[in-house]
Amino acid sequence: MSTDDTPIPVVAIRGVARHYVRAADDVQALRPISLDILPGRFVAFMGPSGSGKSTLLNIISGIDRPDEGALLVAGEMLNDLDEDELAEWRARHVGLVFQFFNLIPVLSARDNVALPLLLTKLDRAERTRRAETALRVVGLDHRLDHYPGTLSGGEQQRVAIARAIVTDPDLIVADEPTGDLDARNAEDILSLLRQLKNDFGKTIVMVTHDPRALRFVDDVYHLDKGILLEGEDAERAGAAIRMAAGGHVGGGGHP
Amino acid sequence: MLPLSYSLRNVAARPARSLMTAGVVALVVVASSLFLGLISSVKRTLIDSGDPMNLVVMRKGSDNDGSSQLSLEAYQAIRYFDGIARDEDDQPMVSPQLVVQPFFRTREGGRENVLVRGVDEMAFAVHPAVRIAEGRMLQPSSGEAVVGRGVLGRYAGAALGSELEFGRGRWQVVGILEADGASFESEVWVDVRELANDAKRPFPYSGIRLRAASPADLVALRKRINDDPRYALEAELETEYYAKQSESANTLYILVVGIAVLSGIGAGFGAANTMYAAVQARTAEIGTLRSLGFSRASILSAFQIEAMALSAIGFAIGAASAIALSALLRVLMGGVAFAASTFTTNVVTLRVTPSDLIGAFVLAMVIGLAGGFGPAWRAARMRPIEALRKG
Ligand SMILES: Nc1ncnc2c1ncn2[C@@H]1O[C@H](COP(=O)(O)OP(=O)(O)OP(=O)(O)O)[C@@H](O)[C@H]1O
Ligand SMILES: [Mg+2]
Repeated sequence: MSTDDTPIPVVAIRGVARHYVRAADDVQALRPISLDILPGRFVAFMGPSGSGKSTLLNIISGIDRPDEGALLVAGEMLNDLDEDELAEWRARHVGLVFQFFNLIPVLSARDNVALPLLLTKLDRAERTRRAETALRVVGLDHRLDHYPGTLSGGEQQRVAIARAIVTDPDLIVADEPTGDLDARNAEDILSLLRQLKNDFGKTIVMVTHDPRALRFVDDVYHLDKGILLEGEDAERAGAAIRMAAGGHVGGGGHP
Repeated sequence: MLPLSYSLRNVAARPARSLMTAGVVALVVVASSLFLGLISSVKRTLIDSGDPMNLVVMRKGSDNDGSSQLSLEAYQAIRYFDGIARDEDDQPMVSPQLVVQPFFRTREGGRENVLVRGVDEMAFAVHPAVRIAEGRMLQPSSGEAVVGRGVLGRYAGAALGSELEFGRGRWQVVGILEADGASFESEVWVDVRELANDAKRPFPYSGIRLRAASPADLVALRKRINDDPRYALEAELETEYYAKQSESANTLYILVVGIAVLSGIGAGFGAANTMYAAVQARTAEIGTLRSLGFSRASILSAFQIEAMALSAIGFAIGAASAIALSALLRVLMGGVAFAASTFTTNVVTLRVTPSDLIGAFVLAMVIGLAGGFGPAWRAARMRPIEALRKG
C-alpha cells in the first residue's frame, strides 16, 4: 500500500532506449525515455513516421526489448524475464491490437477470440463462453461463426479487440488500430476503445496518426526522431495536429 | 499449445498445394507397400509350403530338391524306419520324389524354368494341403500331368485337357492342383517313374518327403537319418527347408528398403518445400501468435503436425491405391512370377498385408517428421517483432 494517493503506474519506463543496426547505419529509434502511465488512462502516442512510436509500444508490450533502461509493466520488471517467460507474461497481462487486425484466417471469429485463452487453464466450455462474451462487448455476437475473410475491416478489428480483452489484461496496446479503416469505422473503433476504458477501467496505450483520436484519449505524447517531446515542443506538436484536423477538435470533451 | 484444428485447417486452406505434396508421399507409399507386399507374398508362399510334421531327405550337401539324388535302396531302407506316420492301408507316409527344372515356353513367347515334380500316390498323404481342385489325379505310366493353379494359363499347353511339352515327351494335363497358395501351386506334378525314365537319370529320385507320426518322432527320425552312415543323407525339417528357400527374398528386401528410403528422401524434400512456403506465407501470423504469448514449442509443434498431417493424407491415399492396385493386378495377371533361389519360377499372389502397410506408414511419418522439422524450426525461431514487420 502506498502512503499517498498516487496510484501505482501500470507502465513505468526509466531511461529506456533502443537502436537498430541495419547494414552500416546505426538507427537510434528511441533515445532514453522516462514515462509513467497510470491505471485506467487512455494514452496516445503521436508523431511522424519513423519517430519510434511502434518501437516504444513494442517495448511496453514486451514484444521487443530495450537496449538500456528499466521497465516495469503490470507489476513485472520485464528486463528480468527471458524469451519464454516474456511470452507467458504477455499472454496474461497484455491485450494486443494491430493495424492489420492480424486474425488467424483459418479460425472462426469465436476461435480467434478464444485463442489467447488456450494459454490459460480454463476448460473448453469456459473458453467458448468468455469468447462469446467478449464478442458481445464489441457488438459482434451475430458473427460468432464467421471467418475473418467474410468480415469487413471494421468487424475484423472488433474481433481483434475482443481477442485483446478476452483474458481481462491489465493493459491494452494498440498500434494504429484505425490505420487501415475508413472514417466511420475508425470513429467506431476509437469509441469502442474509449468504452472499454469507461466501462471496465482498462488502461489503453495506442499509437495513432489519426487526429480524430484526440477526442477519445486522456493523454497525448508526441514523439519525434526517437525523442519524447515536452513543454513547448509538445504544445506545438499538439497544436499542429489539431490544426490539421480542422481546428474543431479540442481536448476535454470526452464522449 | 495451438489446437490440432489450427494445423489441420491450414492443410485444408491450400488444397491444391497440400494434395500435390500428399500425392508425392502417396507415390512413395504405393511403391513401397507394393514392393513390401511382393516380398512378403513370396516369403509367405514359400514358408506356407513347409509342413511342421514333415522331413525333407536329400543327399548330404544338397541345398535343394533339384541338385540332390537318392537311390531306390535308400528309399526302401527309410520306409521301414520307426516313427513314420501311416495311411489307412498301414503304408508308411514316405513320398519319393524326383525334381527336374525344364524350360517352359510362356504364353508371351519367353522361356522360364518350371519345377516339375515326379511323385507317387503317397505325395497327397505327405502333403495334405495339396489337393486336386479340378479334373482328376494323374494315372501312373500314362503320360499324364497335373498342374498348379499358378502355372495354369501361364505356359503353352498349361490348361486342363491340353498337352504340355517338356523333356522328351508330351504330357496330358488331367487335373489342376491347389495348395492354399503354397509354392506347390507353381509346379507340375507327373508320375515319378515316368519322369525318371524320361529324364534318363542314374538315380530314380532326388529326394524323399516323409511325415512323422509325432513331433518326438520327427526329431528322432531326423537324427537317425542324419547319423546313418550307409547312404550319406541329410534330413531337414520341411519348414526350415522352405524358410531357407525364402531367404533369397531378403536380398530383395534390402534393395526395396534402399529404394524406399531414397524415394522417401525425395518426398521429404517435397514436404519441406511446401512447409517452407507455408512458413514464409504465414510469417506475420507466426509473429501474431508469438506476440499473443504462444511459445516457440507450440509454433514448432503446430507446423510439425501440419507436415505430419500432409504425409498422413499421403499415406491414406497411397495405402488405398496400393490395395486397389494389388487387387487389380490379381485380377489382370493372376499372379506375379518370381524366380526363387533354385531358379525355378514361383508364381505368387500379390497381397498387400497390414504389416506391409505399417512399413509404409512408418516411412510416411518419417517423411513428415524429417521434411517438416526444418520449416517448423525456422517458424519457431522467428523473433515476434521481426515476424510482425513482414505483415
Ligand atoms: N527491426 C528493425 N530493424 C531496423 N530498423 C528498424 C527496425 N524497426 C524499426 N526500425 C527503424 O527505427 C525507426 C523507428 O521505427 P518505428 O517503427 O518505431 O517508427 P514509427 O514511429 O512506428 O513509424 P510509423 O508511423 O511509420 O509506423 C525507423 O527509422 C525504422 O526504420
Ligand atoms: Mg509504427
